[in-house]
Amino acid sequence: MAGVTVSEVSRRFGAHKALDNVSIDFADGGFYALLGPSGSGKTTLLRQIAGFDFPDSGRISIGGESVERVPVEKRRIGMVFQNYALFPNMSVADNVAFGLSVRGEAKAVIATEVQRALDLVQLGKLGGRRPHQLSGGQRQRVALARAIVTKPRVLLLDEPLGALDKALRVDMQIELKRIQREIGITTIFVTHDQEEALTMSDRIGILRDGRLVQEGPPEEIYDRPKSEFAATFLGDANIFRGDATANGIRLPDGTAIAAGVGDRLAAGAKASCAVRPERIQIATDAGATDGDANVLRGQVSKRIFAGNNSTYFVDRAGQTLKVIVQNTGLDRLAEGQDVVLRWSPESTVLIAAAG
Amino acid sequence: MATTRILEGLGRLYVFMLLAFLYLPIIIMALMSFNASPFYQLPFEWTVDWYQSLWQNGQLISATWNSLEIAVITTIISVVLGTAASLALYRYEFRGKKLLQALLFPPIAIPWLITGTAMLIFFFGVGIGRGLFAILLGHVALALPYVIVVVSARLQTFAPELEEAARSLGANQWQVTARVTLPWIMPGVIAGGLFAFAVSFDQFVVSYFLSTPGQTTLPVEIYAAIRKGFTPEINAVSTIIIVVSMALMLLTARFFKFGGEK
Amino acid sequence: MAAHGAVAARGGLRKALPLLAPAYLWLTVAIFLPLSAMVFFSFMTDLPLTGKPWAFTLGNYAAFFSQSLYLTLLLASLRLGLEVTLWCIVIGYPAAYVLAKVLKGRSREAIFLLVILPFWSNGLVRIFSWAMVLREGGILDTALNAVLPFKINIDLMYSYPAVIIGLVHSYVPYMVLTCYLTLQAIDDSLIEAGRSLGASRLQVLKRVIIPLSMPGLVAGAALIFVPVVGSFMEPRILGGRTGTFYGTVIEDQFVAVFNWPLGAALSFILLAVVLVILAVASPVLRRAT
Repeated sequence: MAGVTVSEVSRRFGAHKALDNVSIDFADGGFYALLGPSGSGKTTLLRQIAGFDFPDSGRISIGGESVERVPVEKRRIGMVFQNYALFPNMSVADNVAFGLSVRGEAKAVIATEVQRALDLVQLGKLGGRRPHQLSGGQRQRVALARAIVTKPRVLLLDEPLGALDKALRVDMQIELKRIQREIGITTIFVTHDQEEALTMSDRIGILRDGRLVQEGPPEEIYDRPKSEFAATFLGDANIFRGDATANGIRLPDGTAIAAGVGDRLAAGAKASCAVRPERIQIATDAGATDGDANVLRGQVSKRIFAGNNSTYFVDRAGQTLKVIVQNTGLDRLAEGQDVVLRWSPESTVLIAAAG
Repeated sequence: MATTRILEGLGRLYVFMLLAFLYLPIIIMALMSFNASPFYQLPFEWTVDWYQSLWQNGQLISATWNSLEIAVITTIISVVLGTAASLALYRYEFRGKKLLQALLFPPIAIPWLITGTAMLIFFFGVGIGRGLFAILLGHVALALPYVIVVVSARLQTFAPELEEAARSLGANQWQVTARVTLPWIMPGVIAGGLFAFAVSFDQFVVSYFLSTPGQTTLPVEIYAAIRKGFTPEINAVSTIIIVVSMALMLLTARFFKFGGEK
Repeated sequence: MAAHGAVAARGGLRKALPLLAPAYLWLTVAIFLPLSAMVFFSFMTDLPLTGKPWAFTLGNYAAFFSQSLYLTLLLASLRLGLEVTLWCIVIGYPAAYVLAKVLKGRSREAIFLLVILPFWSNGLVRIFSWAMVLREGGILDTALNAVLPFKINIDLMYSYPAVIIGLVHSYVPYMVLTCYLTLQAIDDSLIEAGRSLGASRLQVLKRVIIPLSMPGLVAGAALIFVPVVGSFMEPRILGGRTGTFYGTVIEDQFVAVFNWPLGAALSFILLAVVLVILAVASPVLRRAT
């Protein structure tokens, strides 16, 4: 096992900057998600770490050893591909054995290790099958077993669950996490699914246009996004734009919004505030007013019922705000109703405007 | 990274060497047809004499006409019969269909030497004998499997629901075929026709066994000339043939992609 | 198509017949009956049409097995087929690989077309073009002597290598075509998966790419081997006196010696050999589909 360090890595394809000065530390034994929209550079970064492609500048090291010029087969990594990439000409067991066999391991060793890996992914009895005889979830497990049987220093996963249906994907998320904990391998995981990134990883890196936008534990990124993009890409957020004040921002119509989280900004600078929809309380009257709370009035324009919760769309001064309310059986509001929105400054993140 | 680039560069170089191997002899042959020396002596002196003397060669001219006529008739017959058969194989299910499809491969796979000699024996035995008619019979049979394979491949991309939709709108079977199916498979039909023309126009082996001295095709005539001795005149006529058949092939490629798109 | 066909299945043949009959009748008259007739005639002493008396005999086959000449020539033709096929694999496979996995976009399309373009151009003319290159005082001779400081005589014309070169030139596009089709169907991520598991380029080639492209290799080999074993025009033009093979002997029976029954027997033996070879190759081909 080993940690991975990427420092100041850039990669161009023609005029397109696929990676622009990206630096990340992947801690030993951690589960790291690289999250971003398509074209953000997350797969390019993974391929640089794997060694399928090489950076134009910058350094990559695995376990403290510099690997920028080391070809992929010498890097001792394990990789799971988006479409699994199982060799169709080999049985399941031969697929898993491939990495050990090209290393020239003894037959007996290979047999034991392959069986152990297949048992780990709960496919112990299917070694004799061909890949095309397996279901999507089973192929996924074979690909995982094949990647870890060689005891790689780092496990790279390129959208491994993208081809599975929703229910199976949740099962595999739990399974993948269990196996990762069991063998304690540094894991880097590319996805465009924010929920997957939140539930599975210890740390998340958000990429956009080849740059690392923000990096940290899931809670930190969710609770303290540093940019509008991070706030809206990971989870949902209401964004207010205005000028920075001593303790928040002032909207163009003069309304003040207090923010208790985020960096302090020079008064007068362009700034935004982000508020998560589930942090906002919605009511028909002002009720007891807590001195600090942000309060806005608006009108419900639409309600979407989703079983355990409801989403209200509230129009206010030309902006539509989103509020998510748990279904407690009380307080069902009708469309067209005038409402009061209230949330605490601690739920409000101050963000400097993108410059 | 450097290794990858070097290997890729070598790969490209290799493909260009293969292209040189494939085209150099043909280019040299073509150049020699414009060289004045009848013994292919260098230095090169430009002339079109050999092409002019082709005009005087009545035997070659009549063989060329025979080749063209047979190729055109072969194309028409094999396209009509082949397209009909493809439609039947596409539309209907019946016992023995697999066998009928499998029967298309012997004519393609069996060496033409065997097919040609077998035709010679059989046509002679039943009184058809040799000559242009026998050659035409043979060429159509050789071209048919290609037409059926190419048109069937195009039909695979045709959605049967389209025919059903047309029928639900009140079109009868003939209208469906003429206004829905045929327009869709037309690129396949044209490609099949060009294949058929090429098979016939370039056919040597089968024509060779079925021709008689007066009733012969251009490739057979060239073979006879080569065996008598090389002359720049053969180069000239060969150059014309190769230019025609490569142009046909390019045309075919426009209608029928071999490699599949990626 | 299966569901669509099921609807039409009732009375399918009755409806299909008018469309199918003309094509298959033509094939019957011009291919299947002639092949049957060839088998029939191969058991005769003489052609019934010539007016001479004829009888059934095994003599034509006996001639093949009693005179070592025919067997020797068949073996020589098989060896020629094998050598040409091997050369086509050696030359064609790497080119197919470069086309499928290195070149991209329009340049791949254009070069692919250029490689298979000669494939349908007249084979006879292409063989003739090699005569221009290979003969003494020909282009190869002149070019080499212009470059090299010493005098050498290149006269490959009318030799075994000349026949090989001409046949490889004729048939290598087949190999490129069939191998290209299977190679481009191999997902690039399989190659990457192999490398990520620690396999070198060569190991990936040997254990992943070649096994997966085997159907293309076998198809190409069959498409080349079969016609080369039956070739006669190429050895005649480029081989001269050394160009006597099984195919040229069959040709002689029909156009020079006029012993058609013997020619038919020799043809049929060749057909049997070809069918055996195709039967051996077919399991590999079927695995591909």
